[in-house]
Amino acid sequence: MGIINDFEYKKPKNIKEALQLLAEKRGKSKILAGGTDLIVYLKEELLKTELVIDLKGIEELNNIKVEKDKVIIGAGVTFTELIESQEIQKKLPILWEACKKVASVGIRNRATLAGNICSAVPSIDSAPALLVYDAEIVVQNATEKKNVSIHNWFTGPKKTILASDEIVISINIPLSKHTGGYEKLGRYQGEDLAQAGIGILVDSVKNYRFASCAVGPVPKRLYKLEEYLQGKEINEEILAKAGDIISDEISPISDIRSSAEYRTHMMKVMFNRGFKKALTSMKGGRL
Amino acid sequence: MKQITFKLNNEIRSIYVEPEEILLDVLREKLGVKSPKCGCDRGDCGACAVLLDGRSVRSCLVLAIEVDGHEIVTVEGISQAGLTKVQQSMLDNNAFQCGFCAPGIVVTTTELLEHNPRPTMEEIKEALSGNLCRCSGYLPILESVQHVVEEADNE
Amino acid sequence: MNKLRHVGKPYVRIDGKEKISGATRYTEDIEFGPNLHYVAIVESSEAHAKILKLDVSEAKKYPGVVGVFTAQDFPYKFGLYMKDRFIFAMDTVKYVGQQIAAVVARDVKTAKRAAKLIKVEYEPLTAIFDQMESIKETVPRIHPKLGEYEHVPWFFPQANTNIAHWRKTRRGDVVKGFDEADFVLEDTYTVPRYAHCPLETHAAVGLCDLSDRLTIWASSQSPHTQRNLFAESLAPLGFSHKDIRVIAPPIGGGFGGKAGVSMEILAAAIATKVKGNPVKIIWSREQEFYNTSQRLGVKAKIKIGVKNDGTFTAIDHKLYWDTGASAEYGANVVNAVGLSAIGPYRFQNISIDSVCLYTNLPPCGAYRGFGYSEFMFGLESHITRIADHLKIDPVEIRKKNAIKENDILAYGVKMNPNGLIKCIDEVAKEIEWNKKVTSNDPNKEVGKGFSLIWKAPAMPPNASSAAFLKFSEDGSVNILVSGMDMGQGYLTVMAQIAAEILAVPITKIRTETPDTDRNPYEWQTVASHVTWSCGNAVRKAAIDAREQIFDVVARTLYLPKDMLFLEDESVKCRTKPDFKLPLKDFVINGIQAEDFSFKGGPIMGHGIFMPEFASANSDPETSQGGHPNVHYTVGAAAITMSIDKESGEMHVLKAVEAIDVGKAINPSLVKGQITGGLLQGLATVLYEDMRFNDKGKMLNPNFTDYKIPTSKDVPDEIVPIIVEVPQPDGPFGARGVGEHTMIPAAPMIANAVKDALGVRIKSMPITKEKVALANLKKGELNAKTF
Repeated sequence: MGIINDFEYKKPKNIKEALQLLAEKRGKSKILAGGTDLIVYLKEELLKTELVIDLKGIEELNNIKVEKDKVIIGAGVTFTELIESQEIQKKLPILWEACKKVASVGIRNRATLAGNICSAVPSIDSAPALLVYDAEIVVQNATEKKNVSIHNWFTGPKKTILASDEIVISINIPLSKHTGGYEKLGRYQGEDLAQAGIGILVDSVKNYRFASCAVGPVPKRLYKLEEYLQGKEINEEILAKAGDIISDEISPISDIRSSAEYRTHMMKVMFNRGFKKALTSMKGGRL
Repeated sequence: MKQITFKLNNEIRSIYVEPEEILLDVLREKLGVKSPKCGCDRGDCGACAVLLDGRSVRSCLVLAIEVDGHEIVTVEGISQAGLTKVQQSMLDNNAFQCGFCAPGIVVTTTELLEHNPRPTMEEIKEALSGNLCRCSGYLPILESVQHVVEEADNE
Repeated sequence: MNKLRHVGKPYVRIDGKEKISGATRYTEDIEFGPNLHYVAIVESSEAHAKILKLDVSEAKKYPGVVGVFTAQDFPYKFGLYMKDRFIFAMDTVKYVGQQIAAVVARDVKTAKRAAKLIKVEYEPLTAIFDQMESIKETVPRIHPKLGEYEHVPWFFPQANTNIAHWRKTRRGDVVKGFDEADFVLEDTYTVPRYAHCPLETHAAVGLCDLSDRLTIWASSQSPHTQRNLFAESLAPLGFSHKDIRVIAPPIGGGFGGKAGVSMEILAAAIATKVKGNPVKIIWSREQEFYNTSQRLGVKAKIKIGVKNDGTFTAIDHKLYWDTGASAEYGANVVNAVGLSAIGPYRFQNISIDSVCLYTNLPPCGAYRGFGYSEFMFGLESHITRIADHLKIDPVEIRKKNAIKENDILAYGVKMNPNGLIKCIDEVAKEIEWNKKVTSNDPNKEVGKGFSLIWKAPAMPPNASSAAFLKFSEDGSVNILVSGMDMGQGYLTVMAQIAAEILAVPITKIRTETPDTDRNPYEWQTVASHVTWSCGNAVRKAAIDAREQIFDVVARTLYLPKDMLFLEDESVKCRTKPDFKLPLKDFVINGIQAEDFSFKGGPIMGHGIFMPEFASANSDPETSQGGHPNVHYTVGAAAITMSIDKESGEMHVLKAVEAIDVGKAINPSLVKGQITGGLLQGLATVLYEDMRFNDKGKMLNPNFTDYKIPTSKDVPDEIVPIIVEVPQPDGPFGARGVGEHTMIPAAPMIANAVKDALGVRIKSMPITKEKVALANLKKGELNAKTF
């Protein structure tokens, strides 16, 4: 019950102020967005901090902006806001589906997409969508603002490329015509951490993109699978071969949640079913 | 210690808190609002759910200091003018057994019906799936919510 | 029997409004003022080790610490049926998480920070995590002084072994029985440990005032038993029963986990060292998993002989239980099964060995079902397999061998009246047993599974209940009892029983929660026995009050006593239709006589119930000669379930459960038990899964990884069926139902998986992963089993 280590709390009004605080307490401060991971870590003493910087006072981080070629999701946007956005549902259906599979309502009302990718647990539901979308993370420190590709973002379990003086400003997702979904393996119907997950993107010219979570140290694109399927008219034989490629391309572990054997098996099953579903929904897709 | 001011069950309250104090603990220990319960202390069970600006949140995962300037509603607030329709329906249907999860479930259901007055059974299940109940087998709770929706449809 | 007005009605529970409005005050909600102290516990990091050094000096010096306590402060043993536990680890630790020391401070933070300063040095001992290891001659003894422990006379601990208790039951001649069989099936079934997971964790507050009055508020199923064990354990400090008071506010779920004594003894003991200050201990969710009690794991070897026509000829059932580091409660689970592991079947030739083994895992104890869920998994799987082999319908073979009234039980006593056959028939009809269901989804198969239900209350032969009942000026009634409403609706059921006899509506009756000072004795709220046992006490108390009412009316108003009756909150007279005296006119202030004096006074009834026919004394080698169980509640259940052949995902389309409750005092609450219990049972078989590492540390003591069901995991439909063949000694014919509802879940699932996919799974849990992988390897598996 409660957090036994003391810290200071600051709620900056703008990004500049936040970056200043971060620079002053470099390495000894933590960013608070939804708090659904951070507060657990602080309670369970998985981390200690001298300063908690609450970003929820920074108005400009709280918007979803739809531009001509991309959607900009502010770092303060919650999963519930993404789910309730008709633009997200229409334009980024894979992300929308993944958001609905994150935890449960009471968590989604608070947790942010940016916080999710900063926590960077291997079972992260939002990552496969961001990977197949080639999302860019806009990151800022006291001196510069830069874009980081989602493909370079995850560096290990619970590790990202984000430096301790940087803040995520937004997640930018380029727009394209596509369909697809996110298939997730849990131990039951209720809220669960993914034991395996696959994001699937299909477009009208037989471009196929796939990305996984929970079957390796970091979520990642399945390039070999994509390469094999690229431009192909899909049939059962090709799907069977593709299944073998998936087994080679992922590196699941056995832990208390699931065995590597079952994770691998289910990645194939979910790929097969999700891909067929996506092909069916994409006009011209035949099977 | 920092002073925070927020609306709690329709009343403006001002108190001093340490930054590391958790909303759930402050509500229960400093403000005497006992309906939110600590079932897991890490956001898994939903027994501590309260409405923060109209949305259900896990009060065990919110720092008290974060709610400065915001509004919190608990079951005490929801029941202020008597039981709501959905509470009455749950009561009539003997939906709860031990009742420890009931405050969180009432909070979550209140939020659901506020945003979606005609939820389908699937939507009710989805909304409540973050509130664990070990006694009821859920069906009596789900039926109670569905009953209120059907009543509204018949009006 | 006259037409019943209150018993049998699906009333809204009398504590419903307080629960739905958030008004219920559980233990942790009670205010204790600014002097409240908090406790942090130092726990063992080792599964089995000698404590070489325990250094608390730094913690004692930490600013704000009020006291630090260890086994040196309380060198006392405790235990419900066998005294094999210390309040704090004494010299050795026996499981990871065992309490070693407690730090008391005025706030949680200080207590927790100081607790980190306590240093423990261990010398590791060989730890045993598997009961089949524990039984071996060569392994270390977890309780070297087992032979010296105090225990109830019906336990048989084997000195110098790890066997805490061995219940043997023998009847007929099993050798002959197997000789007579046309077919004998023998196999082993494995059931792991499970956790109760009440939403409210254990909580206790102790206050020893400066006059040495010790009060404990506890989230408890057993306030009187706790008082007794506190008094026994703390007797060296000068406490007797009258000095100790246990108050049990409403509890947020128990499921057996809050029966007996576990962490509550810390509050009682520590309070005696910080006199004048209340001390609060609330278990974290993590501690709730590993430091209360768990359900015992079991490996069960079943051998059943059967004739070609399906008649059972003999059963040999050997069960090896993992009770963890303590058997003080767990051994009674083992005992109960040792007497009942024939299931609801007629066997002439019986051999049961139920063996309770210590291991270096957390202690085990009571859990809804009390061993029956565990052995019925194997037994009911086994019976379906036998039926399949003989090409007899699994329902028919059960009916053929189903136990009937006056059949002889394993321990030689006659079976009570029951509606088992009716339950089977109703379930088979409702689930459309003979109709094959197929799925429209090519990835899915649909299967059906059937199981019977069987359980007796496991209680000492002299477990008793008592009730007081008193009127107020307006004719309303307070019932004082000490059973616990943990959600099952006990308070309401007691009110309905009193309402029936006193002709008072239940809106004018309160049933009070336990307080050992104010309310009379109740053994414990366990064993699905309080409706029956305490219901009898309340019924007697109401009859006693009614007698007092009739007596004062008869002698004051000169009416024939045997012509008086109660109706509409009034006394009426059969021979004087115009006479009507409202209860409120006299139940406190008496009746004014002709001479203007008053007769009578406050009406208060009392009632007690003890099953005076029960006896636990029997031959230790055969268990013949006693009458250990008061009765059995029986039933049947079935499911229709779809299974995804690839993912193994199982979805219950329909579940049906019929139970013979004797008389449903409140059918709505009985149905609530069926729905809730069934889902709890389904969870134990489908996904709940306790994991330990090779050092005996539990890896998933949280709801992130110990999955209990959510609203998305419910069957599409549950059909509860109430069968009522009265229990002759039950209140209005009622017997208990709380635990039975979860018992059939596991074998039903196993049988449905086999029906759908042809795969027989013999170890729980039957997770989707296990089903999917077994289905993938079906070819090789089928060669080995069927």
